[in-house]
Amino acid sequence: MSGWFALGCKSSLGRLAASAGVAALIWLLWGFPSGSPQLAQTAKAAAAPVTCATCHVGVATSYAHAPMRHALEPVENDPVLLTHPRLTVEQGGYTYTVETKDGKSTYTVSDGKDSLTVPIHWMFGQKSQTWVLEKDGSLYEGLVSYFPRENGLGTTPGDGKTDPKNLIEAMGRKITPWETLQCFNCHATAASEGAKLTLDKMRPGLDCDRCHEGAEKHMADAARDNFSTLPKSLKKMDAQDTANFCGQCHRTWDTVIRNNWKGTVDVRFQPYRLENSKCFVGNDPRISCLACHNPHQPVNHDDAFYDAKCQACHGEAKTTAVAAGMAIKSCSVAKDKCVSCHMPKVELPGGHAIFTDHMIRVVKAGEAYPD
Amino acid sequence: MLVAPISEAVTKIVSYRKQQIRARRVANSTGLWLPILLVFALLIGGPGFGNAQQAAQFDDLAGRAAAARDSGNVPLAVELYGQATQLKPDWAEGWFYIGLLQYGANNFPAAIDALNHVLELKPGAAPALALRGLSEYETGAYDDSLRDLDEGVKKGAANEPRNEQIIRYHLAQMLARAGRFQDAMLQYQFFASKHIDDPDLLLGLGLAGMRNTTLPKDFPAEGRELVERYPTVPNLHFYYGVLLFMHGPDLAIDQFKSEVEVAPSNAAAHAILAYALMFAGRFAEAQPEAEAALARVPDIEMAQIALGRSLAEAGDVKRATEVLNQVLKRDADNMEAHMALAAMYSRTGKREEAYRERLVCLGMQK
Repeated sequence: MSGWFALGCKSSLGRLAASAGVAALIWLLWGFPSGSPQLAQTAKAAAAPVTCATCHVGVATSYAHAPMRHALEPVENDPVLLTHPRLTVEQGGYTYTVETKDGKSTYTVSDGKDSLTVPIHWMFGQKSQTWVLEKDGSLYEGLVSYFPRENGLGTTPGDGKTDPKNLIEAMGRKITPWETLQCFNCHATAASEGAKLTLDKMRPGLDCDRCHEGAEKHMADAARDNFSTLPKSLKKMDAQDTANFCGQCHRTWDTVIRNNWKGTVDVRFQPYRLENSKCFVGNDPRISCLACHNPHQPVNHDDAFYDAKCQACHGEAKTTAVAAGMAIKSCSVAKDKCVSCHMPKVELPGGHAIFTDHMIRVVKAGEAYPD
Repeated sequence: MLVAPISEAVTKIVSYRKQQIRARRVANSTGLWLPILLVFALLIGGPGFGNAQQAAQFDDLAGRAAAARDSGNVPLAVELYGQATQLKPDWAEGWFYIGLLQYGANNFPAAIDALNHVLELKPGAAPALALRGLSEYETGAYDDSLRDLDEGVKKGAANEPRNEQIIRYHLAQMLARAGRFQDAMLQYQFFASKHIDDPDLLLGLGLAGMRNTTLPKDFPAEGRELVERYPTVPNLHFYYGVLLFMHGPDLAIDQFKSEVEVAPSNAAAHAILAYALMFAGRFAEAQPEAEAALARVPDIEMAQIALGRSLAEAGDVKRATEVLNQVLKRDADNMEAHMALAAMYSRTGKREEAYRERLVCLGMQK
């Protein structure tokens, strides 16, 4: 829920781009062919319950470790809290304590005289983590979150200006049903039906069907050897559609423009930043989100990994003008680790984290962050 | 999880099936007002007495009154609170309970009388003002009701979430009745922000939106029946959708669709539906709605933008350019039109043109 609500979910004008999974999960690209009768027969023979992994074992295995799969951690098995059974911090005159015991976590805020304790049911995020809390039927974004860089609690991004007047306000920021819908829809699966929150049916993290609409029917049909009802192929999306698809959670260019979000906080909105790049064009697959990122796998943090992606356009042999109408330049400074210069790292204000700026450009020394 | 209890509460509050509702009102209203009462009691403090015997008698009455109230024995509770306030006429808490219980029992004039005592003792006490305003609403003293509810809200009576809905709903009606439609819409906006969808609420909202001073409860019976079957009252879905749109186009789409069903010839409804669909990225659905709007009224800008963007997304460069240029001819700085052009150029591989249009939009933001 990073940024969390204040930076993204607080869509003041409500141009919420609703929800949906982030990057396109393309089984046919990275996984096994979806129609795999042999595997289906094997599964049936073993009488094991049919899951996506029954046929798509490769992609399912790698996706198990992907960040989106862990966008919301299960309450009984949250690595952050299991490895940090007691977290505490004092700030703004209040003491916050997050404790985990016997598989249950609680969030306590105290003003030294009184205290308020609520159970933690929803853990947003795999590394940095924010908790959504329930009190008297309303949901609140915890005013403190866990940050791995500090290995401790700190103010939840966007809530820094909050000046709590009582324990409830100190506990967290009350979130509207709209924000709630958007946050759960981007961090979990089956969290809503239309505009209604369905937390009773929700599954933590982004399951396959969060992005691959129709996956459940396909799975049921495949178990009966019917492979005619395949989910819509996401690999056929062009760069523009992919940016819009991922942007449903990571924010589209349209969403950021319409909401007039400004400043370095928008570094989190990668599709927006990417589309601000001079080299972005919607029909060129080499600039698609998927050209660099496999959503079924953890993010690769090795700068050199991306060189081939850059050189797909900027390689020696491609320096002439292209049909798209723009001269493609090659770099006169270096031939490797392109992203280390052309996609600088930016500290997210109040975010306790560094983000890669996806606005690809020639960065000039001392220049301000370009909106 | 959130929406359902709120909807239930509002349904309870705004429903005018009063015979059913009022029978349960005592228990409900006591529950609703309890948090306020606790604060209220703390604020006003306990009564003082000249002698111990009188104090003991008062304590006994107050205790029995509270027990009767808790057990739902309203007549006895009112009687005992009445005796206690005779002993101690400056016991504001006792008067407030009488007001609350009388309100719950539909004895609105008696409620107003008791609350008058409270407000004499504690002028400007927000909970008493709001409750008296609600009681006055029921007696038809609408001007008084507006004055009290308005003042009560200003003093924070609606800050208690459990009472906020009933107070704001009644205040909204009173504001609309007084012709203060914009103020009424602001109160109704609260319900939109909570995504509370209720026939009575829609009716009140629609009336305010149409600048109609009729109270929802006075709306002709046949009209109310139509409203309860949503698809028949023009403009109500439109206005509610507009409020929802501020929180998310996706949420407004269903309302606009209902409006189009209600009034298929309503060009504005088709246009705003197309616009909301465009915002939601549902371009294929937006296009026919935009065309339906423009077939009726050729120069609705909202429909032109939605059509232009839909055509752009579909790759129909020639027609998209034509439609979007119509918009830009009138308004060269129309950001949505430039956004549509950016999308069109991007999709068709015109990298530099797309970049240029994006820069135009980014420049408009500054």
